[in-house]
Amino acid sequence: MTSTPTNGETTRSASAADQPADQPADAAAYLAGVMVEIDAEVARRRASGELPPALERELDELFLEFSPLGARGSARLRETLALVDGAAYVDTAVPVASQKAAGAYVKRGIQKATGWYMNYVVHQVTRFSWSVSRMLHVLVDHVEDLEQAVDGLRPPDVDLSVVPVAAPSGTWWASLVVEALTGIRGRVVHGDCGDGSLVEALVAAGVDAYGLDPHDDAAEAVAIRGLDARGGRLLDHLEAVPEEALAAVVASGSVQWLSPSERDRFVVLAASRLAVGGILCLHSASPIGWERSCPPVVADLAPGRPLHPETWEHLGARHGLRLRAVHQGGAAERIVVGEGVPSSDALDALISVVNDRLLAPGEYLLVAERVQ
Amino acid sequence: MKLAIVTPRYGAQVIGGAETAARMLAERLACRPGWEVEVLTSCALDHLTWENVEGEGTSSLNGVTVRRFATSNPRVLEYFELDGRIRVAPAAASLATSRRWVALNGPMCPGLVDAVAGTDADVVAFYPYLFATTVDGLTVCPAPTVLHPAAHDEPALYLRAFRQSFSGTDGLVYHTRAERRLVEGVFPVGAQPQIVLGLGVDEPTSPRRDGAEVLGLSGRPYLCYLGRVDEHKGCGMLAEFFARYKERRPSDLALALVGPLSGPPPDHPDIVATGTVAEPDKWDVLRGATAMVSPSAYESFSLVVLEAWTVGVPVVVNGTCAATMEHCRRSGGGLWFDTYASFEAVVDRLVSDGRLARTLAEAGARYTDTYYRWPALIGRYAGFIEQIASRGPKARLRPPRLASIEGGIAYVREQ
Repeated sequence: MTSTPTNGETTRSASAADQPADQPADAAAYLAGVMVEIDAEVARRRASGELPPALERELDELFLEFSPLGARGSARLRETLALVDGAAYVDTAVPVASQKAAGAYVKRGIQKATGWYMNYVVHQVTRFSWSVSRMLHVLVDHVEDLEQAVDGLRPPDVDLSVVPVAAPSGTWWASLVVEALTGIRGRVVHGDCGDGSLVEALVAAGVDAYGLDPHDDAAEAVAIRGLDARGGRLLDHLEAVPEEALAAVVASGSVQWLSPSERDRFVVLAASRLAVGGILCLHSASPIGWERSCPPVVADLAPGRPLHPETWEHLGARHGLRLRAVHQGGAAERIVVGEGVPSSDALDALISVVNDRLLAPGEYLLVAERVQ
Repeated sequence: MKLAIVTPRYGAQVIGGAETAARMLAERLACRPGWEVEVLTSCALDHLTWENVEGEGTSSLNGVTVRRFATSNPRVLEYFELDGRIRVAPAAASLATSRRWVALNGPMCPGLVDAVAGTDADVVAFYPYLFATTVDGLTVCPAPTVLHPAAHDEPALYLRAFRQSFSGTDGLVYHTRAERRLVEGVFPVGAQPQIVLGLGVDEPTSPRRDGAEVLGLSGRPYLCYLGRVDEHKGCGMLAEFFARYKERRPSDLALALVGPLSGPPPDHPDIVATGTVAEPDKWDVLRGATAMVSPSAYESFSLVVLEAWTVGVPVVVNGTCAATMEHCRRSGGGLWFDTYASFEAVVDRLVSDGRLARTLAEAGARYTDTYYRWPALIGRYAGFIEQIASRGPKARLRPPRLASIEGGIAYVREQ
């Protein structure tokens, strides 16, 4: 915490700066702590009246003049509105000072002579601009209410720190993806590429593949190895791709826990970004396998749950995606009756049902083709 | 491998982020065995006038072949009229209007565009997106192309005339992740091969003098700004903020504005504007600063931020500048302000807390060493260029070359 005595000198008690950081990750956290303290200090100065509002307003308007619109997120509406308010008043008191002695008299004379006319016009302009300003205030209030309501309904994103970086190499489905895409012409994107091993395998097979991963640093590590990899979510990335620009989309990882509305958006985007004949490969846990395979914190906090392959097939069919194959795989667990336990056909049959229903391989790879 | 780099201005005397970056890449690539680098540029050195200063023809600069072509027109006042008009809603400007803006922005260099059309380079790199040389060059280039946008969130980015430049190029090279996000938010370029590269930092020159001595401040502490001293770079705002700060916090703290002046320097007893200084002086001034301030909201990389960290100086950046904010957040090496109140609190804190300043600078230095040293960067860039060359040029739409600048002037007058 920081505190500033009235003479403006800053003193500190125990604060973030007392625990200097040695590692890069710690440095970012340390910096965040310092900025929280600075924000708190700003709030304290405002509350104490140490910062005259007029001074702040004048200088902040100057700051905004040289800032890109929209750069400050949700605060921009109010700030831009403040600029509108500031410009809404039209001043008819024209400056009359002059460097020449007679100049001021001439200017004052013109001001007086035209005053009746200017005041009449300016009065109407000002009424109009104030009406517009009032309307904008009402609109901004409405927008903020709506934002609040939407925020309350929106499931929070899963904190990336609890999502492990994927390592697809050696998984049962990676080789199937390579097999399905070998020989394909055009760009292929792998969402949630993790350590980039599947992208690397695809490139080795002659596929023009690139990767995306929500962990920026993981993607950067892949890019440093010479592969085309970027930080970001597949869903957002597809928005930045022209229609029919991709030969294949490989979706894994977070596609399993997209919220229902995002899942719909994903299907629409994936289908439209694929060229006709393009392939969608989607790896997911099955609804039953999800509890076994997903890290507990992700499973609990995820905004959505995995779908059955049939549901993906149904959603895709509405947008021109035709199922080619569904491969089942992943770790399976089996209940095995131990040695020495008397065998019973009826019991074996029951155990077999339990094995198939609950402990069968809990993942699948769905391969679909855009046909129209 | 032969790489041609197209940039509107080129030379050691050109101060400009994108142009300097192009020169840094060209000179380092030219040193690599098996690489030949040629720069196609105008004879102009000043982007405000595009006046032909250098002679036409071929020369060599630090191992790089430089081919210069005359601009056909200096910049005309009509540009500023049209710029003011479209600035309010750039995305709404018609394709024709936005192409006229590009022509008026210049530099119109017909010889350069013809040279691009007849190039024998394996890959042609264009740097930055904003100028007519890039828009026209990308249109006619027969070889695979790479665009270094050097984009920031400015009205021009939203002009339709640039859509073809971005979607027609074979590869994109960004300075920062923030630049990539910005460009992808405006143009559908996600599927194009691309890398986030950035720039490398040179080793600083050895200390010669105390920075305060260079500035004539005789032992006083100072904040410094490095770069073109220009309103658009936020220097006027910084000077005003600093003047108010000094009214409220009387002390011997000074502000040094170091770089070429675009206008009259701020008139304040605690603000020193040096104009252009020699490289060793620049490093000495930087080394002695309490902090380096980057007030600009419109940076696509900001090499000076990394240079400050290299010599153990923390930075303060504009909180609305995506590129410098990315450097600070990723490294933990700098603070930021987005109001006068936060500027005051940040400066208070840095002035009074030497330990914080050191910790920030050390974190910044680690970040610079990890990501922004030349040998690794050049290796990655060379690998990317080789990939682009091996893919070959993609089929491009071929929009017509920009109409002559006279057409633009007539249009503005008509309006």
